[in-house]
Amino acid sequence: MARAVTPQRKALNTAIAALIGALIFFPIFWTVLTSFKTETQAIADPPVWFAFDWTLENYTAVNQRSDYLLHFWNSVVISVGSTLLGLMIAVPAAWAMAFVPGRRTKDILMWMLSTKMLPSVGVLVPIYLLFRQLGLLDTRMGLVIVLTLINLPIIIWMLYTYFREIPGEILEAARMDGASLREEVTHVLLPMAVPGMASTVLLNIILAWNEAFWTLNLTAAKAAPLTAFIASYSSPEGLFYAKLSAASTMAIAPILIMGWFSQKQLVRGLTFGAVK
Amino acid sequence: MATTHARAAARLMISPSVILLLGWMLIPLGMTLYFSVLRYNLLMPGDNPFVGIENYQYFLTDPAFTAALINTLALVVGVLAVTIIGGTLLALLLDQPMWATGIWRILVIAPFFVMPTVSALVWKNMFMNPVNGLFAHLFKSLGLAPFDFLAQAPLFSIIWIVSWQWLPFATLILLTAMQSLDREQIEAAEMDGAGALSRFRHITIPHLGRAATVVVLIETIFLLSVFAEILVTTNGGPGNASTNLTYLVYAESLLRFDVGMGSAGGVVAIILANIVAIFLMRAIGKNLDA
Amino acid sequence: MGQITLKKVRKAFGDVEVIPPLDLQINDGEFVVFVGPSGCGKSTLLRLIAGLEDVSSGEIEIDGRPSAELPPAKRGLAMVFQSYALYPHMSVRKNIAFPMKMAKISQDEQNRRIEAAASALNLTEYLDRKPGQLSGGQRQRVAIGRAIVREPAAFLFDEPLSNLDAALRVGMRLEISELHKRLATTMIYVTHDQIEAMTMADKIVVLRAGRIEQVGAPLELYENPRNIFVAGFIGSPRMNFIEGPEAARHNAHTIGIRPEHIDVSATEGDWQGRIGVAEHLGSDTYFHIHDTGLAETVTVRASGEVTLRHGETVFLTPQAEKIHRFDNEGLKQ
Ligand SMILES: Nc1ncnc2c1ncn2[C@@H]1O[C@H](COP(=O)(O)OP(=O)(O)O)[C@@H](O)[C@H]1O
Ligand SMILES: [Mg+2]
Repeated sequence: MARAVTPQRKALNTAIAALIGALIFFPIFWTVLTSFKTETQAIADPPVWFAFDWTLENYTAVNQRSDYLLHFWNSVVISVGSTLLGLMIAVPAAWAMAFVPGRRTKDILMWMLSTKMLPSVGVLVPIYLLFRQLGLLDTRMGLVIVLTLINLPIIIWMLYTYFREIPGEILEAARMDGASLREEVTHVLLPMAVPGMASTVLLNIILAWNEAFWTLNLTAAKAAPLTAFIASYSSPEGLFYAKLSAASTMAIAPILIMGWFSQKQLVRGLTFGAVK
Repeated sequence: MATTHARAAARLMISPSVILLLGWMLIPLGMTLYFSVLRYNLLMPGDNPFVGIENYQYFLTDPAFTAALINTLALVVGVLAVTIIGGTLLALLLDQPMWATGIWRILVIAPFFVMPTVSALVWKNMFMNPVNGLFAHLFKSLGLAPFDFLAQAPLFSIIWIVSWQWLPFATLILLTAMQSLDREQIEAAEMDGAGALSRFRHITIPHLGRAATVVVLIETIFLLSVFAEILVTTNGGPGNASTNLTYLVYAESLLRFDVGMGSAGGVVAIILANIVAIFLMRAIGKNLDA
Repeated sequence: MGQITLKKVRKAFGDVEVIPPLDLQINDGEFVVFVGPSGCGKSTLLRLIAGLEDVSSGEIEIDGRPSAELPPAKRGLAMVFQSYALYPHMSVRKNIAFPMKMAKISQDEQNRRIEAAASALNLTEYLDRKPGQLSGGQRQRVAIGRAIVREPAAFLFDEPLSNLDAALRVGMRLEISELHKRLATTMIYVTHDQIEAMTMADKIVVLRAGRIEQVGAPLELYENPRNIFVAGFIGSPRMNFIEGPEAARHNAHTIGIRPEHIDVSATEGDWQGRIGVAEHLGSDTYFHIHDTGLAETVTVRASGEVTLRHGETVFLTPQAEKIHRFDNEGLKQ
């Protein structure tokens, strides 16, 4: 399709795309902008655009709320922890299904997917009661366990679709060359699957970081990640736009950056390989 | 590739995942089913007698349930309509030749990465607030009375917020599908004398059909469970005006501490989700063979 | 040592029997080629020997030892795959070193063998490259290098040349033959190309649908095929088969005559026909002859350039002592 497009046409397309892109992105832009204003400027009418006293005081204030760093750290521990734990469980399973497929492999994969369709609210009560019983309420450990289990099917599926693209002959060659099963996986399969694993990890961290059902329902103060911490700004006494903006900016920035890097893999992960 | 040795190893490797997921599915599910037939309230100590389908009767005949069911459907259908139509248009746009496509695409996709509580609060406070929100400022400058979105049109507002979050997903997937369309197929159709419109109608649309199906089904799964957006904006209100099934079950269970009722609601939610899931699994299962 | 014995080896995938019980003896130092049409079970047979698949029943002995319990790596065999199966994330050096690393061979010895293999295979300059930066032929050599350094009892090749272009294929064919002469190690080589089989093998095993049709030296199969299948499969262009009265005249159900065993003349001969297509190769000329009343076409191969053209009438004479006679079950009489 190497056909010439007139520059005018191209410019028009660009202008429309820029306009729509800016509109959709605007709430994020406005949040970031507001985070640098004073509280008064944040609610000024008419709104101030750029001509305000840029300040970092909101960031300082949010960070001084003794708990902010704790919540940030909770988010990191929970999302990274559940991802790594999930990976450790999923790699062997994905290896088995991709390279030693049996008659039931397809059924197992579909069944794993079906567990993802179980609505969380359907098991809210028992999980809540079990966690209370086991002392896991409001612990990072508890959330790591739950998020690992919810995202395990996605991790297995993504790894499976990546592994399937690796020719089995290469693993057989390793087997002929005397590699044990563990060596076959660590020396040959995993290094070859690095790009696929990286996207799996990235997508999963994003999903876990933004998870907002279990994190809201199973935590109170101690183990609350940023999703729950930000939710505390919904009460009227927390109504400080500039500080809310600063806290929000810090909460979404890392994931926004990761997300931009993983656009393509996102499609594959979220559609279970149905769209590549 | 498969010696008995390899097959035995495979079984061993797959079992942790299977056992964990089986436990994760069966244990809570069994407990939910069990609790749903008990009179069991955490605020009322004592024994929890078996009451059969009483909880279901109460739950299903509660006016709040009807409201929640309608709200759930409205939310799902509303967001799906916005995201599928908007996503197709955006994907078509971004597929056109232009400068700096990457940047515009990034801008469009960004909302997907914003955590639900942040996006709900940003919209609630900075845009929809009737006093300090940007919309209020905008209305005032146009000489209109400010509108309290979350009080006067709570469900619409939530659909708006959730659509903003999911529009990128639909766009991204439809765009990916569009770009995977075989250019030679289009050129062949062109050689066969098909005009731009009939090429779109007979080649692009059927090709996008599969991706659109996947978008609809996956979004539906997530949209049935919208929770945080409601929790931090309207708390389901005013009244039940923005309560969906998920929120209703949450309220029964963790606000009114009615374990029995909450569990019955949970079972209803599971049944509803399963109906959708069956269709989704069919669509994805087909791709597994390809 | 590299003596491999297959005793009543049978393989089924589920209910589908791919290899019915089969016996075969491969002697030490032999170059054995499994040849047969695609899907006939050649790869499966090779993978059974390698230990990548389990036999459904029967036994494979390697140097007299039953191998059922031996995992692939313990069988002392090295395999070169059709896709080369190089480790894409490792340099050529690391690829070649991998089996030695797994066998915990000392670093000095590893280096010595790598250098030796690299110089024998002309890979010395490429040792630090990744497989992705090599041409098809070079990748093939790396795969062979990786097999050599293990000093295996036998080499297994699964259609190693099928991904190469025609010119390279001829070159690699010679290299592998020379390697065999130099190492004198048992080699089992799978191909669907009968030319590779004829040029390389000490012993050819012709397979069809998992069954051995004939085992023998290349010329033995060429001169004395046991049945129509082998007769048609070995030799190029393909043998002509003639049924009907002409076959009956020779007291056979079918007679076969190779294109190179038919004399062609513009003036006289036993059979008469019209030239359809004439392929002039310079060294040889192939005629595809119609309207003989014997078969759809009769192919004739004449040495050198013969200036007969399309549409001309010709006369053919089969060399009587080169006629193969088959009964109604296709077996040689
Ligand atoms: N893992 C397997 N499962 C089921 N059938 C198989 C498997 N591997 C090979 N086959 C079947 O066995 C037959 C022989 O295959 P193969 O040995 O690859 O043939 P060749 O190498 O001669 O082309 C084919 O019909 C193929 O479909
Ligand atoms: Mg094969």
